Amino acid sequence: MQDKIVITGIGVLSSIGIGKDAFWQALQEGKSGVKPVTLFDTSKLKVKMGAEISDFNPGAILGEKGLRNLDRATKLLLCAGKLALDDAKLEITEENSTSFGISIGTTLGSLWSISEFDKSALRDGPHFVNPAEFPNTVINSPPSQLAIRLKSKGPCATISSGFTSSLDAIKYGIDLIRNKRAQIVLGGGVEEFCEQTYLGFYKVNFLAGVKGPELNCPFDQRRNGIIFGEGSAILVLESEESAKKRGANIYARILGFGTYFYPYAINKYEPQGYGLKKAMRLALDDASVAPFEVDYISAAANSTRDADIIETGAVKDLWGAKAGKVAISATKSMLGETFSASGVLAAVATTGSIQKGFIPATLNYKEKDSSCDLDYVANSARKAKINKALVNAFGPSGSNSCMVIGE
Amino acid sequence: MSQTKTVENEIKEIIAQILEADPAKITLEARFVEDLGMDSMMALEIVAAIEKKYKITIPEEELMKLASLGNVIEITKRYLNK
Repeated sequence: MQDKIVITGIGVLSSIGIGKDAFWQALQEGKSGVKPVTLFDTSKLKVKMGAEISDFNPGAILGEKGLRNLDRATKLLLCAGKLALDDAKLEITEENSTSFGISIGTTLGSLWSISEFDKSALRDGPHFVNPAEFPNTVINSPPSQLAIRLKSKGPCATISSGFTSSLDAIKYGIDLIRNKRAQIVLGGGVEEFCEQTYLGFYKVNFLAGVKGPELNCPFDQRRNGIIFGEGSAILVLESEESAKKRGANIYARILGFGTYFYPYAINKYEPQGYGLKKAMRLALDDASVAPFEVDYISAAANSTRDADIIETGAVKDLWGAKAGKVAISATKSMLGETFSASGVLAAVATTGSIQKGFIPATLNYKEKDSSCDLDYVANSARKAKINKALVNAFGPSGSNSCMVIGE
Repeated sequence: MSQTKTVENEIKEIIAQILEADPAKITLEARFVEDLGMDSMMALEIVAAIEKKYKITIPEEELMKLASLGNVIEITKRYLNK
């Protein structure tokens, strides 16, 4: 019998709030993190909007020392780690350091650092690059820096599976606990707001505002692309037994997980959603939960033409005639598309739903698309008792993951 | 004389920034590792910053000797004058 895994601590930094209380409050109020980009110049682009964390002050959370050479993604993750450990009332000491694991999803985190490092080499010559900037150029830098800062000596992993990274990292963390390689795991993800990623998405016409209005409106007829966002979050994961033994506060239980990689074409969503349907079925089977028992689906829908209709189709496939009865909402309508961090941010949001008894709204839903005709909890949050929920993540390069969370 | 004083202050500033230490604590004799908490990455960064600022190259065999502000000033001046 597999260990039951629970969430006993939460650290979150998002464009709508820092810290779980502010985050959950903002979700209930339907606050949007989307605003004009300030971190770099967008004057030469057709698009101007993004979901940055405008009030990010790492020194306030971490103290000022030791942050000088760390990039934004790393600082976001370190902050999430500190908030999560404090929330779980845990301290990593010399005695317990080998019992902690770290498993973080991040994919694009080092793009800015690589770009800066290369610019130095081109501008000043290769001999004059700053060696202290080099560690940031590898994708495993944020979780590694977290382990270094926390002096955590257990397993440390970086999962880079694109859109599903942070959900996949949580699963990896769950497996670490079940395989007795760690007692407590900090599982989550991070993605920073950076110019290179923004330009990349812009050039492949993935951003809203290139082929239509610059709106963040999942499931809406006017949707035409994502609004890019950033965020980081960490869940403190442990077995229910471990949590009860130390008298920890349990926020939610992870009931099941499913993942299915279905290759189709790079940067193109597979139109039938075969992989997503499989991932959702596998998750529900793993949790021994039937579709009718699910109170809420935290959708991965991100205001692209394809993703939103594919996810709608997947729900119809699994729920059949009852598809219109299950509440679905897209927190990306508030947070933007945070890529690798999206899964864990949705998991934190859904944990808030369970704790506080509400379903966050899908914002900006005004014009109905006849092919997206389910209950999307349009525009305002809804009071509801959430016993069991699904958290989806999938992307246009084959990865699909789904997690079932419950009370 | 005044050129030496400027170089000494510039180097002190670089080191203070990299070590995130109070400049008053960076005396000529204070040991970077034992007294000021320098780690190996900071050591590399100090060398890189000095090489870049003064357009000099400090050979590998000298790096071990950079244990205090006094050492760094002496070696920098030596390579500046080469």
